Order: sequence, then structure tokens, then C-alpha cells
Amino acid sequence: MTPPASRRAPSRRALRLGVAGAALLALAGAALFAYAVKRGGPKPEDGAIAVAVRDGRCEPNDLTVPAGRAVFHIRNQSDRTLEWEILDGVMVVEERENIPPGFSARLTARLKPGTYQITCGLLSNPRGTLTVTPSAASEAARARPPITAFIGPLSEYKVTLALQSSAFVTQVGRLREAIAAGDLDAAKARFAEARAAYRRLEPMAARFGHLKNALDGAADYLAEREADAAFRGLPRIEYGLFAKGAVEGLAPVAAALAEDAAALKARLRELKLAPEDLFGASARQARLLADGAVVHGLAPYAKNDAAELGAELDGMAKAAGLLSPLLKEASPEAATALDLRFAETRAALAGLSPGAGRDDPARTALAQRFGALSDALRQAAAALGLE
Amino acid sequence: MGEPGHSRRALLKGVGGLVAACPFAASVARAEPHVTDAPLANHASQDDRTPFYGARQAGVVTPRPAHGMVASFAVVADDADALEALFRRLTERIAFLTAGGPVPVLDPKLPPADSGLLGPVARPDGLTVTVALGASLFDDRPWLRPLKPKRLTRMTRFPNDALNADLCHGDLTLQICANSQDATIHALRDIIKSIPDQLILSWKQEGAVPVVAPGPDGTAESARNFLGFRDGSANPDSRDEALMDRVVWVGAGDGEPDWATGGSYQAVRIIRNFVERWDRTPLGEQERIMGRSKMTGAPLDKLSASEFVGPDYAQDRDGRLTPLDSHIRLANPRDAKSDANLILRRPFNYSNGVTRSGQLDQGLLFICYQADLDAGFISVQRRLDGEPLEEYVKPVGGGYFYVLPGVETPSDHLGRALVAAAREPRDG
Amino acid sequence: MKLKHSLAAAGLALVLASGAFARDAALDLVEPLAEYKVYVTEKTEKLETDVAAFTAAVKAGEIDKAKALFAPSRMSYEAIEPIAELFGDLDASIDSRADDHEGGEANPDFIGFHRIEYALWVKSSTEGLAPVADKLLADVKELRTRIAGLTFPPEKVVGGAAALMEEVAATKISGEEDRYSHTDLWDFRANFDGSRKIVELVRPLIAKKEATFLKTVDANFERIDTILSKYKQGEGYVSYEKLTDGDRKALSAAVNTLAEDLSKLRGKLGLD
Repeated sequence: MTPPASRRAPSRRALRLGVAGAALLALAGAALFAYAVKRGGPKPEDGAIAVAVRDGRCEPNDLTVPAGRAVFHIRNQSDRTLEWEILDGVMVVEERENIPPGFSARLTARLKPGTYQITCGLLSNPRGTLTVTPSAASEAARARPPITAFIGPLSEYKVTLALQSSAFVTQVGRLREAIAAGDLDAAKARFAEARAAYRRLEPMAARFGHLKNALDGAADYLAEREADAAFRGLPRIEYGLFAKGAVEGLAPVAAALAEDAAALKARLRELKLAPEDLFGASARQARLLADGAVVHGLAPYAKNDAAELGAELDGMAKAAGLLSPLLKEASPEAATALDLRFAETRAALAGLSPGAGRDDPARTALAQRFGALSDALRQAAAALGLE
Repeated sequence: MGEPGHSRRALLKGVGGLVAACPFAASVARAEPHVTDAPLANHASQDDRTPFYGARQAGVVTPRPAHGMVASFAVVADDADALEALFRRLTERIAFLTAGGPVPVLDPKLPPADSGLLGPVARPDGLTVTVALGASLFDDRPWLRPLKPKRLTRMTRFPNDALNADLCHGDLTLQICANSQDATIHALRDIIKSIPDQLILSWKQEGAVPVVAPGPDGTAESARNFLGFRDGSANPDSRDEALMDRVVWVGAGDGEPDWATGGSYQAVRIIRNFVERWDRTPLGEQERIMGRSKMTGAPLDKLSASEFVGPDYAQDRDGRLTPLDSHIRLANPRDAKSDANLILRRPFNYSNGVTRSGQLDQGLLFICYQADLDAGFISVQRRLDGEPLEEYVKPVGGGYFYVLPGVETPSDHLGRALVAAAREPRDG
Repeated sequence: MKLKHSLAAAGLALVLASGAFARDAALDLVEPLAEYKVYVTEKTEKLETDVAAFTAAVKAGEIDKAKALFAPSRMSYEAIEPIAELFGDLDASIDSRADDHEGGEANPDFIGFHRIEYALWVKSSTEGLAPVADKLLADVKELRTRIAGLTFPPEKVVGGAAALMEEVAATKISGEEDRYSHTDLWDFRANFDGSRKIVELVRPLIAKKEATFLKTVDANFERIDTILSKYKQGEGYVSYEKLTDGDRKALSAAVNTLAEDLSKLRGKLGLD
């Protein structure tokens, strides 16, 4: 079998995986086989590839299929009982024996990209060719590091989340103290720190819908907006401190916030992370920011978007950075692109002035950057087979 | 390096006569080699198998292959059960190693079961593993102390010794011999890996003997030591069972504990040779020190004879031909009394590297067996004390050990009788 | 905010999720590995605190105080050797022995713990040690920074349980590690604790399948505890020279067996 020309020299590990993958595919093919020999019945099912054998050749004699699972429907239109084989060099990948004249058989195989031969009746007959082209799935499977490669990065992310959530709990505690002390300026400063701590966590925190609403539910989504009884969490405190300029009435809100922060920390501690989370959560968050949040504004009262978006980016970069060594090996292009998107987003963020209004072109430009970043994160995930 | 008598001349003559009378029989009638014959070139095979099962352990009177090693261990066993467990595990490993066979294949994520030195199939390669016990095994365990062989003691220093404590004594030794060094190391590593909780390696010394081409009659000459002399010419004949029963093996009437019947005393000495100095010594002096011709091994009173001819001291009472203080004459004066001091030598040459003084660290891994340690090695060595050879040799390590009786059947195990005796209630 | 507090507050206790979606079993190592990082981080924080006090005593010329602080200061390092040794340059400057250097004690490159040990016990002097003390503290701080930024390789962590035992078996049971002070038993204690910590962290993953294996491993750790407890003195241990020959052999047997058994831990957890 000749593998398709590669765009880049495959790493040693990729080759090793390829070999292992081939073995797995062969096994899968054997396990999946389901066949029936039927009289006549030339009707191949949907998606099955029809091959007729007659006059010492296959029709068609040259097949091309995408990598993965393929179903062949073989009709024996010769006058001899025949066997039909897919050969990889001298090795039989898959075969059907004893197909009597006039009968047909089905064969299912899982095929790796490459060029194979097919037999067409008598052993002396010329063989046909089967070309298996790479598919997105086969490429990802080839590049995907072994699951054990993700253990280190995931545990490091677990430690990071623990640290970040602890920091969030601590910052909320200080915010609460400042509010209890009636110190508006201190409370404003503490609020910024607590919100930044939350933003770093947000890609993962956003998973817990109920908690997310309690911690960071915007007034826009409430029937009575700021006046709604359910208006709580960080936005409620932000509203009090920055729009109303007062700490009065915020103590119970801060107490509830502290409880929710502790709950978030506990949930994150119990969370079983999967490799998909490392890029996936950030990609989702970046998409949310791109599709409205950046333009709409994250801190409507404190008008502190630049700092909060910076914290968001920090959180995403930390998670993505943990997979960077794996990504560089699997796809240097995707790694370079991702680094570039992060840099561009940071540059665009630097261009966002604190008082920029909703229609400020800097916001649109930044939103676009977050969109591109989200795409790059998704491509990075795909390059590691994490989809 | 004692050299007691009972030459092999008679038997070799017999073989020679047979070959002469019936030349076609030569290839099939080759006698089993004597214990100190040099291993014959092209005769060793990786499939050579020295039977493990028998009333006596292999590796004592069985022919000496090209490679040998003594490894000494401290034993962790606080009671008879633990000692039995150790003996059973040793038996199991030695039975496998000496028989050979495929090594287990494990999940590659795990360390392999076997060092792999011999490949996927461990071929026996003439391997023997001989287990012997040191005095400390008994002395340090009150429940085992009463069962110590009568003459088993901790080796004490002889006047010329410079014993390095790190190369002496031990609770248990393994004498591991095989056609190749790899096979001996494979066996050692297997046992260390298999029994890490009960055997702690204290020291080891490896050695080898030169492989020589057989003579025209298919027989071998004695191998040379690192002093360039043939060693073993006058060893008692290991093929003479009656002689071995008397000289080597402890019998029921020898006054030893019952469990010890079928065992033997093993003396191990690591004897460094000052080879640079030896090589700067005139040939005549070398021969007078040893008492034999260097090239032929002939006795100095019969220079045209073969190495297997013994000297006639009766005709040389004042030592003009064979000096009275020569090594062979001191070791075995061949008088009426010295017959009681026979020992069976089974030595190997060792070459370890370079000393701090930039000299070769070479010498003899001397191993001998006898039924009575006092009458055997200790008496012989006492006679050698002060010999001129001492200027060129320096014993630095070793010890005295007792070779366990053999394992007769696969359901048996090493030291069974000893463990059973240790379990018996003793009164007084 | 100090890492120490945040980590302690983070309290990464292993919580087994119930009813969570199925996840590749290999990823069950994520949580123990994260907890191990917390353990190592706490140890490096303690190391820095202890070494700061130790080197201060050295610089102040307080020989008795420095001698008293030597062995306890080393323990946090010895416990995390599987990770600390990943940084070869720091390991050499923090913990190399005289015979790692040409010319031995006289070699100016011989620095770190053992250089100070040599001066305290053999020379009974702290003269000229100030730069060595400063460098040791700086190295320990650098180690802490590097560990904080390190994604722990799971095979090194799991393999570390055996590596610690291997190290004791190969180069410590002889008493050559702390040859001037003979405080080897303190080191052993830390090495055993570090190894056992790793076993404890992965225990839930193999408890069912490898009950016999764990039983043997536990028994050998307990054997070691029993022997070491005989030599306990105050917060630490008596001189290594007091160890009886019998106990040294028993210790050696337990350590060798643990090295042998724990060498299978990586494979049992599916790590190459």
C-alpha cells in the first residue's frame, strides 16, 4: 500500500499511530463483517459499492472510496465460484469466499488511506485497484495523540481551575468585606478583581447553567431588568457600586455571591475533565464573545470591558497553552495559526479604549478577532482529533 | 590451590587403548570429561542440559564448563516457613533455568518477566546453579543453630590473606556455571529479580576457564590458570563415584546432621595473582615455585612425562628436583597421611579490571569441595602457609559454605530435610 | 495571593463522580496527578522555608543549629525527587555528592546540601560557605518556580514510586548519601513517604483489580515503617551507623522488593 503523499513529514509518533491504527482498522474490519450471499438480488443498499465480476475482470476495475467504513456489494456474473479479496501488498485485508455464479455477497471493511488491489475471479486474472482517499476522520485519527498524552495537560488544568476558583472565592470574600465596611472605593476595586477572577474561569464556569446565571446573569435577560427580584450576583453588585454609587443593600447580595462562588469551586473540583474541554470550552466562550458580548459590552455599569476581556483571554490562553506541545507535534500549522490568533486578539484588545461605546469600530474589530480565535481553537481541536 | 593426588593416568590410558584398538569408536566412546579438564572447543552447545534432579546437586562433580561465578547473599528468613519459602522459590527458578524454555511474554507496558539476555527461549547452555549455606545463616538464627554442619565455620584469616570484608562470607552462595557468561548472568539476574525480598546480594566473582581444542584421542588437558600453569592435573577423578563418595560427599556415617547427607563442604577463595610481577620472574624460579614444568605440566623429576604423571618424592627426599616448599609438594606431599586431605578443585580464572595502582586485577576464583572441611581445604592451606608462591598471590575474599543435598524429584525442593529438621521439636 | 494558601484552600480531594458520563479509563489518572502536583507544590514551599532557615544558620555561623536543621531541611526534597530530578541542573547543584565531581570534596563545583554537610561535620566550620548557602536557597526558589510551571508527565509521577525505591536500593542503602552526617534515615523516611504517596493516589484506580499486588506493597511499606520506628529519636532518626546489620538487610529486602513490584505500577495503569 502506498500512503498518499503527505503535506509534511509525519512525526515518528504519527507513524507509530498509523501502524497501530492500521492494525485496529483491520481488526475492526474483521469484527464488523456482516455478509450474506444472496441469489441474484443486484440491488446494492444505499452507500454500498457495487462490483460485478465477469469475463475475468471487475466492473468497475478501479475503485475510489473515502477512508473509513466501506460496504462492497459483489456480484458474481462469471461462470465459476469465486472469492473476492482486498489486498494490501501480499496481505489480505478482507475477503469473501465461495460466491457461486449468479450470487452476490456483501463485504464491510474499515479502510485506511492508501492503494490496494482487488482480485477479480481466477487467480490468473489481472487485479483491479482500490484507492482509498484520506477523509477528515481518518486524518484526525492519524494525528490524534494517544489518550494518555492528555493526562498531564488535563491534570494541570485541574490544578489551574482549582487555583483560579480559589482565587475567585478569595476575591469575593474581600469584596464582601469592603461592602460590609461600607467602603465604596475599596468595594469598586475589589469588584474588578473578583470579576477578573471569574472571567478567567468563565469558559468552564459557563458549563454550570444555573450557577452561571446566579453568578453573572445580566439584567437584560430578566423581565424587570435591574428592578427584577432575580437580579443578583456580580452584575447586581456592579450595578449597585457603579450605577448607583452606593454599597447599601449589597451585603445580602455579596453573601449569596460568596455561597455561589464556593459552589462553583466545589463543582469544578468534582468536574471530570475530558480532552475536548481544553480547546472546546474556550472556543465556545470566544464564539459567545464574538457573536454579541464584545459589542454589547461585558460590564455595562463599570465599563471595564478591556480588563475583563483580558482576563477572558488569559483563561483561554492558559487552557490552550497546556495542549500546545501536543498541537505543535500533530499540526505545526494549527499551532502557529492559534498563536497568531491569540496575538491578534490581544492587539485588538489593546485598541479598545475604556470608554468605547457599542458602535465603536474597535468593538466590531475585536469581535471579529474573537471569532477568528474561536475558529482557530476549533481547528486546533480537530487537528488533535478532539471533536 | 592445593594439588592432592589420584591422577587420571590409569583411566586416560584405558581410553587411549580403546581408541587405538577401535578407531571408529572414537566419536562415540569419548569419555565424559573430568571436572577440571578444559572445556573442549566446539563441544559446548546451548542445548547442553545438566540434570538438575538427583540425590546430589549438579555443579560439583559435573564437568566444569567455560564460565563460572560465585554469588553470595544475605538471607531474610526469620523462621522455618520463610526458609522453606526461599528454598522452594530457588528450586523453582533453578529447575526452570537449568532445563530452559520459553520465557513468559507480558504486556509490553510492564517490565518484561525476563532480562531477555538469552532471547525468547532461554536455552540451558550447560547451566548449573549450586546452592550452599554459610555459617552465619545458622549462627544468626537460634532455631537453626543446632543444625549447623559440624565443620562449618566462618572462614578465618590465613597468614597471607588480606581479606576484604566486602568479598567474604555470606548466608548463602550460588555457584553458577555454564558454557557462556551470558547464561550465568542471566541465571543470576533471574534469581535476583525473582526473590528480592529474601536474597540480598553481598558480593560476586565471575571467572572463566580457557576452552581448548581436544587432543588427537578426543581428550582434554587441564586448563591453565593466570600464572600460566596447568591447574587440576592431579585432581581426584570426578568420574570415580566411590572416590567422590569418600572425598567429596558427606555420607550418613560422617557425624554430620542427618539432613546434611548428600551435601559437601565448599571452600571459595578469591586469590589475586600479581601477574605483572610473576611475568618478571625467571621461568626456572616460576617452575620451582610451582613444582611443575610450565609448558607441559610435567613433574620436575620427569620432564618428558605428561601432566598426568605424578612426581616421585621418595626418590627426591631433599627436594633437589621438586623443591620441598614448591606449591604442589606442600599441597600434596603424597605420603600416607595426605590421602586424607584430598579435595576436588573446580576453579575459574578471573580478570576484573585495574587496581588503584594501575595493575591488572586478575587471579583465581578458587572453589573446592570436600566431605571434611578441616581435613580438606583447611589442612591443605595450612601446609601452604608461608610457601614461596605467597609473594605472588593474595587471597582477598571467599568463605566456607555447605552444599545442600540434591533435589530428587520435581515435588521435592532444596533444603527440604533441613527445614523439616528445623521444625522438629528439640529437647535439650 | 500566596500559592500555598490558595492550594490549601483549593483542597483538591479526589471526589469520585457518580453518574458522570463515561470517560476513557486512562483519564482516571487526571485527578490523582493533579493531587500529586498539589503535594509536590506544598513540599517545595516547605523546602523553601526550611532551606531559608538552614542557610541563614549557616551564614550566621551557628554550626549546631545548622547541623540540627540539615536533615529535616532535606526531607521535602527527598520526598519529591521523581519531579525534582527532572531538572538535572538544579539536582546537581542542590543534591550532588562529592564523588559526582572530579577531585571530590576539593572541587569548587561541589556545592549544595552535601557541600554544607561536609563543612559542618568534617570541617566543623562554616567559613566560606555564604555563597554556597545563597546559591542553595536560590536554586530551591528556582526549583519552586519551575515546578509551578511544569505539566507533570504522568509516567514520571507513577514511575516515581519505583524510582524512589530504586534510588534507595542502588545508592542509599550503603549510607553513601549522607556520609558525613549519617542522617540517611531521615532521607529514607522522606523517600518512602514520597513513594507511598504516589501509591496512595493511584490506589483507587487499581484497588479492585490489583488487590493482591497492593497487599504485598503495603506489607513491605509497613515492614519499613516498623524497622524505621525502632530508630526514631525526637522528630527524626538516630545515626545511620546505629542501624544493625540485620535491620539493614531487612530494609534492603523490603526496598528491593518494592522496587521490583512498583516497577509494574506504570504498566498496571496503562502508561508506557
